[in-house]
Amino acid sequence: MSTATASKPGPASGAIERVDRTGKLIYGFLRRIPTWVLWLMVIVWSIPASSLFLNSFRTRDAQRNSGWWESFNEGGWTLANYSEVLGTEQTGGLARALVNSFAIAIPATVIPVAIAAMAAYAFAWIKFRGREWLFIVFVSLLALPNQVALLPLLQLYAGGAHWTIPGTEFTLTLFPDFDLAGSATAVWLTHTAFALPFAVFLLHNYISSLPGELFEAARIDGADHVTIFWRLVVPLSVPALAAFTIFQFLWTWNDYLVAITMIGSNGEAWPATIRIASLAGEFGLREHVLSAGAFVQAGVPLIVFFALQRFFVRGLLAGSVKS
Amino acid sequence: MGALGGALIGVVIAIGVSTALFFGANWLFDLAVDRWRTFLATSGALVGALIGAVIAGNDVAGGPLWVWAALCAVVGAAAGIAASLPGTPSKPRRTRLSERGRLVTFLGPSLLFVALGLVIPLLRSIYLSLLDSRASEWVGLANYGEILTNPNSLDLSGWTEIFTSRLFYAALVLIAVGLGIGMAVGRRRGRTMEALPGSIGPIAIGLFVLSFAVFTTLRGTVINNLWWVVVVTGLSTALGLAAAVLADGVRWESVAKSLIFLPMAISFVGAGIIWRFMYIARPPQKPQTGFLNAIWVWLGSLRPRTTGAWVAVLILALVTVLLAGLCAFGVRRRQTAFAIGAAVTAVPVLWLIYRFLGPGLGGSVPGPTGEPIAGTILFLQEAPFNNVWLMVVLIWIQTGFAMVILSAAIKAVPAELIEAARVDGATERQTFWNVIIPTIIPTITVVATTLIVLVMKVYDIVKVMTAGNFGTQVIANEMWQRAFTELNFGLGSALAVVLFLAVVPAMAFNIRRTQRADA
Repeated sequence: MSTATASKPGPASGAIERVDRTGKLIYGFLRRIPTWVLWLMVIVWSIPASSLFLNSFRTRDAQRNSGWWESFNEGGWTLANYSEVLGTEQTGGLARALVNSFAIAIPATVIPVAIAAMAAYAFAWIKFRGREWLFIVFVSLLALPNQVALLPLLQLYAGGAHWTIPGTEFTLTLFPDFDLAGSATAVWLTHTAFALPFAVFLLHNYISSLPGELFEAARIDGADHVTIFWRLVVPLSVPALAAFTIFQFLWTWNDYLVAITMIGSNGEAWPATIRIASLAGEFGLREHVLSAGAFVQAGVPLIVFFALQRFFVRGLLAGSVKS
Repeated sequence: MGALGGALIGVVIAIGVSTALFFGANWLFDLAVDRWRTFLATSGALVGALIGAVIAGNDVAGGPLWVWAALCAVVGAAAGIAASLPGTPSKPRRTRLSERGRLVTFLGPSLLFVALGLVIPLLRSIYLSLLDSRASEWVGLANYGEILTNPNSLDLSGWTEIFTSRLFYAALVLIAVGLGIGMAVGRRRGRTMEALPGSIGPIAIGLFVLSFAVFTTLRGTVINNLWWVVVVTGLSTALGLAAAVLADGVRWESVAKSLIFLPMAISFVGAGIIWRFMYIARPPQKPQTGFLNAIWVWLGSLRPRTTGAWVAVLILALVTVLLAGLCAFGVRRRQTAFAIGAAVTAVPVLWLIYRFLGPGLGGSVPGPTGEPIAGTILFLQEAPFNNVWLMVVLIWIQTGFAMVILSAAIKAVPAELIEAARVDGATERQTFWNVIIPTIIPTITVVATTLIVLVMKVYDIVKVMTAGNFGTQVIANEMWQRAFTELNFGLGSALAVVLFLAVVPAMAFNIRRTQRADA
């Protein structure tokens, strides 16, 4: 249509006006396309989780026989799945598993934050020989796949570490057997080790950017490292500490690999992720509580996420973009 | 509640002991400066107690642990006092010793955890990977040989079929189009090739399609992992960038970004379950409960020459006319990107029209009475594309991550830079491609490397959705099954080391980046 107008060598003024009006119309339309694409993307991204959410409120029969969109006509809504899920294991309940998840996630968050903050301070403000390369080696471990450490760590937890001195019958115990395999302790110890490189990296980024004159002044006043760390660094680093805490809590709460490796078949210590994965395994039997279970497991991180999104985003940014 | 109570008590005890150790160590190193003899005696007693505990723990000699610990502590304290007799070192030396000690109290816990939990296990994994399945006989590189020769992990036998696949030709056409556009524009500007969206875009998409041609033909665990890395890294970064750009400055920007970012808070297991509900396929005669198959079957029910199909064709024809108009508009205004964009978008629309008129869209299987009815897609069972449907889950999660970081990078582009480009007469599109994109290239690289490391280790999604069946096995899941289900320590460790070697380039990149940031 407009091609014809364009090919004319010298279009009349009326034609130009008409073309410009069409052009404006098309431009207006085009300018809004990106916004529409964005909201289309938002809808597409929201469908999977909302499907699960709506399904979790439907009866077993409704879930088995029709899609969630049918329930807007047919009904079949119920809260029974949630009362089953929050009950005991016999009904596919997650109560104990949720407690276990907290039992893993809380120590696996608190302990790394504390010791990583100390290490980050040392790397940033205590001068010693080899500081740079030690820091680089330490931080580069954050890309290390956890799989590499799982088998040796499980062996360590299950039997300790022993070394028979060559040429003698004598076996030296390097690490005693604390019988940790199958317990939540083994899981959070592992999480602590795995989290440290990232934690030190993130906190070091922040702590090293604190004003050095402040510490100089404190030193002149006679404060030692402990006082400076406790009275100045920790209070000033609260944003970074919060960012890492949230990140680490979500990570450990959502972890499956470390937990299934270290706990194995000891169902009593299973966190919620393993419990819902095993519900998913027994297809058909507990299908109807699976959606509610998955949503309950996701509930805690979603609350944390919505309440503290700013800190979480800040943590991600600090970890990826050098500020 | 027992578990939680136990854990909380454990945490309290751990924190209490750590605090006591921390302040105790500091007190000890204060002593080193002021009271040298007390310092040596205390340290001697502590070292002695430790040695005593080790002696008792290893059954070197009989007797309860505390007796040995106390005995050795006394001996240690005496040794410490004896060592202090020759005289006290000078004050600067004592201060330096005390500073060293402080450093240990700050760094020690982290170094201990990382050494025990990462470094030593890594070395032991490498060692185990050179032993047989029970970790008793030295087998050298046999486990690695097994990985490379087993057709389940690496099957290159069908490589000739790459050159006969339709994907391969589609990729060639796309790359040719991109090169053509680039050369045409380049000649106009007096260069052989011009890098611009119109040429880079088709070439990038062409290479992407080419990777599909390769990865659908060559099969095996290792190939699957590479496919994951290419597709998830590429699409998550691209979609994240798109979302960041599209959302920039839009009304309700934070709501849109939150909703795209939300899957990041959901566990991989939860995401796997969510998408399993999306992918459910029931027998075609029954109503579908999975969202995607419901749409697919509905599309399939629009059989050619039915009212539904005619409506669809009508709508699509309108879209085609609109696109043709846009294309013409673009040509007239010399907006090459518009014209090309509209023309490219028209291709799938025309293809849809053809499907609705001819063979029909959606699968088709014979129904109970013999007439064709719409078929379903077995998203998780049909190899090799079931791999792609699993990747969709991770893309769904990671797009939000890429978006958040790239969005921050875009907002951090200095306003003066954009202003300067505007003053020089650059259009919005030119500003974006020639100012914003080059500025955020480092961030894009960071996002891509982070994703590569993450995707390489993908495990939970495959485990929950297919358990590695139907040709969807990946290295991490294979490693877990070998090491912890079959208890083949050698092969399991070798697979873990392969994963480690795969991320070494990314680690090297991280090191370089940290070094540059420090410098």
